[in-house]
Amino acid sequence: MRKEKIDKTPARLDFLQSFTGLILALFITGHIMFEASILISNEMMYKVTIMFEGYYFFGEKYPGIISFLAAAISVIFVIHAGIAMKKIPSSYRNYKVIKNHIQGMKHEDSSLWMVQVITGFMMFFMGSVHLYIMMSQPSDIGPFASSSRVVDEFMGPLYFMLLISVVSHAFIGLYRLAMKWGFMEGKNTKVSRARFKFLMKAMIAIYIVVGLSSLAKYTYIGMTHDFSDGVKYKSQTIKMENH
Amino acid sequence: MSESKKQRVLKISILRFDPHDPEDFPHMETFEVEEADGMTLFIALNEIREHHDNSLKFDFVCRAGICGSCSMLVNGRPTLACRTLTAKLDEKFTLAPLPLFELIGDLSVYTGKWMRGLNERLETWIHDKEEELNVDKLEEKMEPALADEIYELDRCVECGCCVAGCGTAKMNPYFVGAVGLNKIARYQLDPRDKRSDDDYYELVGNEDGVFGCMTLLGCEDVCPKDLPLQSKIAYLRRMMLKNTL
Amino acid sequence: MKVIYTDVLIIGGGLAGLRVATGIKGRGHDAVVLSLVPPKRSHSAAAQGGMQASLANCKMGEGDNEDVHFSDTIKGSDWGADQEVARMFVHCAPKAIRELAHWGVPWSRVHRGDHAAIINAEKVTITEKDEAHGLITARDFGGTKKWRTCYTSDGTGHSMLFAMDNKAKQEKVEVHERLEAISLIHENGRCYGAVARNLMSGELVAYVSKATTMATGGYGRIYSVSTNAIICQGMGQAIALETGVATLGNMEAIQFHPTAIVPVGILTTEGCRGDGGLLLDKDGYRFMPDYEPDKKELASRDVVSRRMTEHMRKGKGVKSRYGDHLWLDITILGREHIEKNLREVKEICENFLGIDPAVDWIPVRPTQHYSMGGIRTKYTGESQTLKGLYSCGEAACWDLHGFNRLGGNSVSETVVAGMLVAENISDYLDSDESHLTIHTSNIEKFVKIESDKLDALLTKEDGEDAYVLRRRMEEIMMDKVGIFRNGDDLQEAVDELEELCKRSKNIEVFRSKSRAANPALVNAYRTQKMIKVALTVAYGALLRTESRGAHSREDYPERDDANWLKRTITSWPDENQLVPTVSYEEIDISKMELPPGFRGYGKDLTKHHPKTAEREIVVNAVKEKLEAVGESRFEIQNALMPYLDKLPKKYRAINERLGENI
Ligand SMILES: Cc1cc2nc3c(=O)[nH]c(=O)nc-3n(C[C@H](O)[C@H](O)[C@H](O)COP(=O)(O)OP(=O)(O)OC[C@H]3O[C@@H](n4cnc5c(N)ncnc54)[C@H](O)[C@@H]3O)c2cc1C
Ligand code: HEM
Ligand code: HEM
Ligand code: SF4
Ligand code: F3S
Ligand code: FES
Repeated sequence: MRKEKIDKTPARLDFLQSFTGLILALFITGHIMFEASILISNEMMYKVTIMFEGYYFFGEKYPGIISFLAAAISVIFVIHAGIAMKKIPSSYRNYKVIKNHIQGMKHEDSSLWMVQVITGFMMFFMGSVHLYIMMSQPSDIGPFASSSRVVDEFMGPLYFMLLISVVSHAFIGLYRLAMKWGFMEGKNTKVSRARFKFLMKAMIAIYIVVGLSSLAKYTYIGMTHDFSDGVKYKSQTIKMENH
Repeated sequence: MSESKKQRVLKISILRFDPHDPEDFPHMETFEVEEADGMTLFIALNEIREHHDNSLKFDFVCRAGICGSCSMLVNGRPTLACRTLTAKLDEKFTLAPLPLFELIGDLSVYTGKWMRGLNERLETWIHDKEEELNVDKLEEKMEPALADEIYELDRCVECGCCVAGCGTAKMNPYFVGAVGLNKIARYQLDPRDKRSDDDYYELVGNEDGVFGCMTLLGCEDVCPKDLPLQSKIAYLRRMMLKNTL
Repeated sequence: MKVIYTDVLIIGGGLAGLRVATGIKGRGHDAVVLSLVPPKRSHSAAAQGGMQASLANCKMGEGDNEDVHFSDTIKGSDWGADQEVARMFVHCAPKAIRELAHWGVPWSRVHRGDHAAIINAEKVTITEKDEAHGLITARDFGGTKKWRTCYTSDGTGHSMLFAMDNKAKQEKVEVHERLEAISLIHENGRCYGAVARNLMSGELVAYVSKATTMATGGYGRIYSVSTNAIICQGMGQAIALETGVATLGNMEAIQFHPTAIVPVGILTTEGCRGDGGLLLDKDGYRFMPDYEPDKKELASRDVVSRRMTEHMRKGKGVKSRYGDHLWLDITILGREHIEKNLREVKEICENFLGIDPAVDWIPVRPTQHYSMGGIRTKYTGESQTLKGLYSCGEAACWDLHGFNRLGGNSVSETVVAGMLVAENISDYLDSDESHLTIHTSNIEKFVKIESDKLDALLTKEDGEDAYVLRRRMEEIMMDKVGIFRNGDDLQEAVDELEELCKRSKNIEVFRSKSRAANPALVNAYRTQKMIKVALTVAYGALLRTESRGAHSREDYPERDDANWLKRTITSWPDENQLVPTVSYEEIDISKMELPPGFRGYGKDLTKHHPKTAEREIVVNAVKEKLEAVGESRFEIQNALMPYLDKLPKKYRAINERLGENI
């Protein structure tokens, strides 16, 4: 019936938005948990850190891996944000329209979308700063180095905001992914949706509690630890030959 | 239904505007109506028209929640007025016409015109191979479960609630809305319609179609016929994506 | 003055109107459809239960065919129907449903193997044939011998109308929405279109056409409680009546549906009882078997409605502040069945009564439901007296239903009649007779008259309030021209309506003076017209001193074939008269395929016509003779009452059925 070829771009962009979102979200669920290793002990956090630096694979640390990881995440981050830009109300008029709509409707899922836009917007700045630091100072990660950054370099307040936004954004995003693509629908879609929504709220709560606890611990260490020795952590169990 | 219960006096604020009157401008007007048992907005509005203001415009046809004529915003949410019991609302509430559609006056909007445009644009009819049907012969068979599934989506009454409840539609006037997407899902399911997946992609595989939908789910939550819109839009999205692989 | 020319003007965008329009387009002519509302919102959408067509696919429909459908229809009509029309109808119903299936209606289908059903309050297992799997299935409906009512869950009318409207869109049928025909343009006994009012802008438009079709539906809203949509106000019948030339048939034949919810009068489909639901009284007692041991809840509608009323009169009704009612119990069907096949019913119960029909009983009582009467036409659909005016669907009386319509025969009628009328009109258009000969100045005259009438309504002072008149009319009809009628009440009704008719000439539109969208103005002119329609009903009922089908006179309980086997014809030749002119049209027994008999409900009170016995002998003789030589049922039928020549050629062929004619 048709002669022309269909334009596949919209489908691909939509998929890419979701796919990048999914990767970022999965990354963050891991990230916050790894980081929370500080809650167990300084030693634990150190082990996690060097694990990422490849110590357990190569027998020595390569902070460049972190740089590389941060760069990769940054790329995904940029792609994701870039595509997301298309969804963000392009003009003030449209912003007003959608804002009035959501206020008038008092409708949860529409409001959730607004949360996505706002948190996304916030992360655009804060996330970039954080990623840049991680890329440029990959070796300054560890129980003491991180704590020092949180307290002495005043990253604490930024992390606090970033935490709140990223956790909300990630789990709302995952819930919305499930709705958008009809993931694990089951027979009664109303029931599965209610379940996903509950899960989303539960996860947000858990992750915020865990994240805030770690942040508190970093702050505590940052305030109480004596940094006269430098920010490097000296492990009792693992001896680094190369350093 | 106790007789002794004191009836409430409802305070109904209505957004009024007559576009045919050059001196008129949109304004709220509040009417007081004594509530009765089992009162619906259909009854309440007719009472206002008959006893308070005979120029009040609104649309009811079946008054039974079947035809989709009477959609309006009740406290900001689109719904069918005829089947909204006043008992489920507070003493004070507001009514406003459905946004996005051409206003005829007060609560009356021209959803029919919008829907006609949509139907024509998406060609919401069975596309078969032009051959003349022999009506004397046995009908073509269809799996019973499939027929049920098609009917499930065929239940849409074109009330426009899903469009009025959708933020995307508000920002993009060309967006086909959940009603349009649901229709495509319905025809795609129907073996009698011979359109290919590419044909459907052409119709809604873009920002005015399924990829414009931002999964706000207002549609799903306001649809008076409880159509599985979320699930069907998701299905279309998957199908359209698969088509590009 | 805005004038729009077209080949065919179709007033009404319901199933009937759209089917006509599509057919005419198919034959290469132009058509414009006018409708008060977007076509998909027409009242046809409300039909829940189903459409009758003798497909005989499902187990309980086995053995069904045109003959059975025909005899059910004639019995249902209490022999008031035109038997040739009924034959044409039953012959074409299977064709119409197959066409609709092709156009996209997702008819519910037969599933092979066992399924459970409730019959007469007992669970039974029905085994469907293998070869029927996937064909259109059917359910039981009142007054039918076989399960013949095809359906899509309980949204039959909705899915039919949507498919029909979509088809019309595909055929590029022009539809002008929110345009109301307010008078017909006619001259020298021929109709040339209509004057219509744009309900949004108030503009008057003259539609000038070679043929005009009235498919405006019923007139239920002359009653205060009705299952009908609020736009079913009989405007089509009224403007035909106001020509003074066109006639209406059997207007007093009004059907009451047994199960509308109390108080709002919204219908719960006959499918509820068809699928096994029961009627109970205040003691939870199932009373229908006492009255109708044979058919019980599934007796014909008029019968069930009367039995329910009788039972309530015995004090067995449930008292409520809205008057007495009875219970409809569908809990025995089980939640799954209700949620799948009676979903609209469930929604209605939840939204309007706040109950769950899977556990609660539904409060119901008989309520005005269907108008058997309408614009009297020949079997071709053309008015008997006004050339170029056609009518079909509920608006018309070509006389398929006589004095009582069978459930499911009506949506079926709309599409069948639409199909046939479209062909007849197209033939007319193809002939030389159809040329337009009316002068523009005369068209102008008709527009001017309407314009003046509207001005008068808007400028009148110290006039009557249309709402008051209308409410009074509705009450009179409800109280005095209801299920059971009697001479005294009817006389009072006619007198008072006459008075209202007089007062209605003096209606004033208070406050709201806009000529554009103005609900008060609309109500004013419609009230004037509705009162006239109400008068044709009440007056016809008063004069008819017998009980036939839905018309039930307490003072004349017997069906009187000797004096009343005839159609009531009403007209309004003089604008100033206050009651309609009534005449009668004999129904010829000597041409009947099925001579008058006993319908099989209650006691047989029929006063037979002398010719009945004669005709019976003839019919039996023919049957015996032909059966003896082994002629087919088609041959026998043809010998008794040939009708095929009345059908358009393309619809004459024999229908295929499982195990027959394949
Ligand atoms: C609640 C309910 C349930 C029913 N269930 C069944 C069932 O299960 N099975 C069955 O067979 N039958 C059923 N019926 C009956 C059946 O639905 C109707 O008889 C049938 O649909 C009538 O169709 P129609 O096309 O003649 O008219 P409608 O569908 O009523 O259409 C009338 C059209 O005329 C237009 N119109 C009216 N006046 C004017 C005017 N002045 N100018 C311009 N346009 C005008 C309207 O806008 C509308 O488009 C039911 C009826 C009701 C009330
Ligand atoms: C610059 C930073 C970011 C911006 C501006 C941004 C913005 C957005 C926007 C506007 C949406 C669209 C809302 C929607 O349609 O669902 C979205 C979706 C999503 N985002 Fe982000 N986001 C950013 C970072 C992130 C991060 C860091 C994560 C992971 C934790 C993430 C995860 C998701 C997910 C899972 C979705 C849902 C994907 C989809 O709907 O297809 N985003 N984002
Ligand atoms: C590969 C890239 C990343 C690395 C290596 C990384 C590493 C770290 C580290 C080591 C910390 C501890 C504090 C510190 O040392 O400063 C931290 C904290 C944090 N990071 Fe990242 N991060 C990365 C990407 C991201 C991204 C993309 C986000 C979200 C947009 C993010 C959000 C956070 C938050 C919110 C905290 C504070 C956590 C808390 O409150 O417990 N990080 N990150
Ligand atoms: S999908 Fe639902 S809300 Fe939208 S038009 Fe159809 S019935 Fe109305
Ligand atoms: S509300 Fe609108 S954005 Fe999509 S999910 Fe529904 S169409
Ligand atoms: S009037 Fe028909 S749905 Fe409300």
